[in-house]
Amino acid sequence: MVDHAVLLEEVTRTYGKGATEVAALRRVSIGFPRGSFTAVMGPSGSGKSTLLQCASGLDRPDSGAVRIAGQDITRFGENELAVLRRDQVGVIFQAFNLVPSLTAWQNVILPSSLARRRPDPSRVRELLHRVGLAGREGHRPAQLSGGQQQRVAIARALLGRPEVLFADEPTGALDRRTGHEVLALLREAVDAFGQTVVMVTHDPEAAAQADRVLLLTDGRIVEVLDRPSADQIGMRLGGRR
Amino acid sequence: MTLVLAWNNVRTNRMGFAASFAAVVLAVMLVGGSGLVVVGAATRAELNGIMGLLVLSAVVSGFVSIFVVAGILSLHVLRQRRTWALLRSVGMTPRQVSRLITAEALVVAVLANVAGCVLAVPYAALMAAFMQMTGLAPGGVPVKVTTGPFIVALVVGLAVTLLAARVAARKAVGVGPLEVLRDSAVQRRLLPWPRAVAGGAALAGGAVLLWLVPQVKLKSAAPTALGATMVLCVGASALGPVAVRGMGWLLGAVAARLDPGAGMLARSSLVAQPRRAMSAASPVMLTVALACTFLFAVETTDAAAGVTRTGPSVWVAPMLVGSAVVYTVISVLNSTAMTMAERAGEIRLLRTVGTKPQQLARAVCWETLIVTCAGTLLGTGIAAASLAMLGKAETGELRFAYSLPQYAGLVLICTLSGLAGGLAATRRARHGALLPD
Repeated sequence: MVDHAVLLEEVTRTYGKGATEVAALRRVSIGFPRGSFTAVMGPSGSGKSTLLQCASGLDRPDSGAVRIAGQDITRFGENELAVLRRDQVGVIFQAFNLVPSLTAWQNVILPSSLARRRPDPSRVRELLHRVGLAGREGHRPAQLSGGQQQRVAIARALLGRPEVLFADEPTGALDRRTGHEVLALLREAVDAFGQTVVMVTHDPEAAAQADRVLLLTDGRIVEVLDRPSADQIGMRLGGRR
Repeated sequence: MTLVLAWNNVRTNRMGFAASFAAVVLAVMLVGGSGLVVVGAATRAELNGIMGLLVLSAVVSGFVSIFVVAGILSLHVLRQRRTWALLRSVGMTPRQVSRLITAEALVVAVLANVAGCVLAVPYAALMAAFMQMTGLAPGGVPVKVTTGPFIVALVVGLAVTLLAARVAARKAVGVGPLEVLRDSAVQRRLLPWPRAVAGGAALAGGAVLLWLVPQVKLKSAAPTALGATMVLCVGASALGPVAVRGMGWLLGAVAARLDPGAGMLARSSLVAQPRRAMSAASPVMLTVALACTFLFAVETTDAAAGVTRTGPSVWVAPMLVGSAVVYTVISVLNSTAMTMAERAGEIRLLRTVGTKPQQLARAVCWETLIVTCAGTLLGTGIAAASLAMLGKAETGELRFAYSLPQYAGLVLICTLSGLAGGLAATRRARHGALLPD
């Protein structure tokens, strides 16, 4: 029996109504084992972002269950979801992850502040050091580069030791080198902290960092690749185009 | 081409357009209507006694109109900086962008001026009816539709709209396209030199007027005090960001103490964006300063002359300044809503890191309360200075008469409309779907 950090059961999500109805996810069932790094890939419109949004509680599926740490979050109210986001789920988007009026340090401790907790300053410092931002604690997002902003977001997500860290195209707005560094950080979070990471990407090289790659087409998981290389992923994707 | 773009811009940015449109319509209505009343009253000899009061209230209306329209319009133009930057990046020259902004303002100005002129007639009739009811003009004021007030209102409406748009356009195109796209709301310098100089000059001018209040003839003391208040308001709103940052820091610290999560969010946004905060605080300051000066100047003059008003005539001064107050209150709502609406993305982000709906609502409320409080303090200070000098002119002492209920009511109205604007503008971001757009 595998220990799953997140488990999707028969999740369906449909957008629009009547003639314009689009099924973004069709009865998708998949588990994300604790301490694993999964990449979700697929052509645009395949439902990969919807999968991430439903799994992270940003969006509500029309039917099915999403279990995080055993609890079905589709039954959660707004307050329970807020507490879930503070403590158990970290989300990183392609851009605009930080509150512009807060410094890097304040952004990292934001979820704890909202819960009226005081995180250990030495741990915050160590995390910021680890993501390569030592000495930039007092900078506001506008004074940081895109890559640095993503690292702050990763540090924020890691501080609370969440059950799972979701990343939606985290390297999409970055150049190659900076993108690699951000991916290496995510990989390190899995290897060093036993973090569970689920990442949506369209870049085969980014996906090659993962332990497992899910390929989505038309709202269904059509293939699961274990530890594939970038070339293998590219070929599979190419074959489906 | 420019006109087509301008028209489409207006259509796609309805909220900002509606706010500017409403501001100009009401401004033209106020100025035109007060003008019609003044012209009508001038035809009756028995109304000579209250002409001074009528003209003063018309001037107050004109002043707040200019102030509010200029404020809303520049907020509107600056909010669309991303659009302007995008147009620059596809090859528009700064001149063309500036022309586009002017053309857009012209679309708004022309439509709003027509609507405002139409509304000015019933507004003047209403004012005249009120004056008859309260016994200010027992014989009534004959309101005839004459061209004079309309021309004044049209010229003021068009000139202010276009001027405000041009000034805002210069600021909007003054920054490079990339710089804008990188971050939509980075604060460059808190107080650019021209602004600091203008603000300092206005404050100095206000101080001179204050000094003049006890020196001039007793009859002109009250108008001079009102003038001092207006000029001081201009100065304070130019230098406001500095004051608001200080007060935001201080009051924000209190809020952060009482309510750690939400209060901290409110404080950081005020300290990081004092200019945005000032654009919401400045209508509050204007309302409090002008209304207090007008209301309590009448009261102080009455007290010095030994007049006690009873019955409907108690309502004369509040009524005369009432429409100007209604106007500024609308603009408090307006500008709070506009400054909050641009933060939808930030609010969604706060939700994704686990801010509870209640916490978000409290953060919005704290921020609005602090902003209103800052505006009230500034406005009260200005009014107190003018009134004290008026008291000196009337009685030789730096004292003035005031009514606590009227003051409290005024502050309450400003606070409530600020809260309503802030909460309504963020409602969708706080409760709607949580997907990045």
